[in-house]
Amino acid sequence: MFKLAMKLLAAAVATVLLSAIFLARNINRGLDDMSVHNSDWTTSVATGSEGAGLMLKAAVALGGLLASTQENSMYYRLSSVAGEPLRLNCRYRIEGDDYDADWWSITAYGWDNYLIPNPQKRYSFNDENLVRNADGSWVITVAAAEQAGNWLPVGPSGAPQWRKAVDYDFDLLLRLYTPGEAYLKFPESAALPTVTLEGCQ
Amino acid sequence: MKLLKWVVAIVVCAWLGQYALALALPSLVMETLYALGTKQQGYNQLAISELPDEEFRTIVRPSPDLLYASCFYNLENGPVVIEAHIPSRYWSMQFYQMNTDNYAGITNQRDERYRTGSTVNVTLIGSDESPNDFAGEVIQSPTQRGIMLLRASAIGDRDEQQAALLASRCEPATR
Repeated sequence: MFKLAMKLLAAAVATVLLSAIFLARNINRGLDDMSVHNSDWTTSVATGSEGAGLMLKAAVALGGLLASTQENSMYYRLSSVAGEPLRLNCRYRIEGDDYDADWWSITAYGWDNYLIPNPQKRYSFNDENLVRNADGSWVITVAAAEQAGNWLPVGPSGAPQWRKAVDYDFDLLLRLYTPGEAYLKFPESAALPTVTLEGCQ
Repeated sequence: MKLLKWVVAIVVCAWLGQYALALALPSLVMETLYALGTKQQGYNQLAISELPDEEFRTIVRPSPDLLYASCFYNLENGPVVIEAHIPSRYWSMQFYQMNTDNYAGITNQRDERYRTGSTVNVTLIGSDESPNDFAGEVIQSPTQRGIMLLRASAIGDRDEQQAALLASRCEPATR
């Protein structure tokens, strides 16, 4: 009897662990299926809404709790450039202009989904605090080491390394507040900043 | 053969179990947030957060360009009234039920720009109440508990935005 109880307990533990592994895999796959890709940026038009699928709701609960629906704000996330995950030893260039939204911002997050500790206390740029070119366009340099111009510092996440469960070191989030029709209707082709890899050490 | 049966049973149960986990996860995370939040600030009252930095943990992926104020509401003892002053820059009031759904919201953007400079008074009622029994702006929560989140732009001079949040309130309605 005791032997059977132990077997059942072990089976229950194995089932729960395996369920969690299946879920983690399916969240990633489900997110990808439900995501809209626009160059290296991805967004999900159902985030925060009652129509979000089971896996998207689970993913939002873990990585974007209390997100708004797209009519209020749209979130485009970028964690890799040309298929290569964002790395702390690399330097990235974001180029852009203005976008059809009441306002917008670009924020860097550590792999734990929180703001990245840095001595400058700079976590983002928005449409008002950027230094722009004469024609209104702008460039942000994302790097761990200090850069000239609009420098968005990145560094190790605030959480310990052993808790890292993703392949990138940090990611970027573009928020468009009260986005225009182009984003609501054509999120896969609407104008977005371009991100390129400048070099790695 | 016996071992194979066990393995197959575990894999099948685990495959089905992932959907149960996915279904339970949003509520579990919200319950945890609700428990932590009400421990810190109680319920049916507004708490204003500091401007997010690397220490900020109230919200996942906080925006450093926003000021936040939150009210963990509980409608078991009746409706809650939320009064908020609406500043000129971006401002929004969003309502979340206990499975993370953003079921209602008010903003001062686009076709609601007319709200800027006004004061909004929302009566938040539970699913067992009828909106017809209340005057003014009424929002019905699908669950008895949930979270109301105020967001206000922190860009540039924050004084007006900060003052608007400080003058806002969330408290049980008096009938």
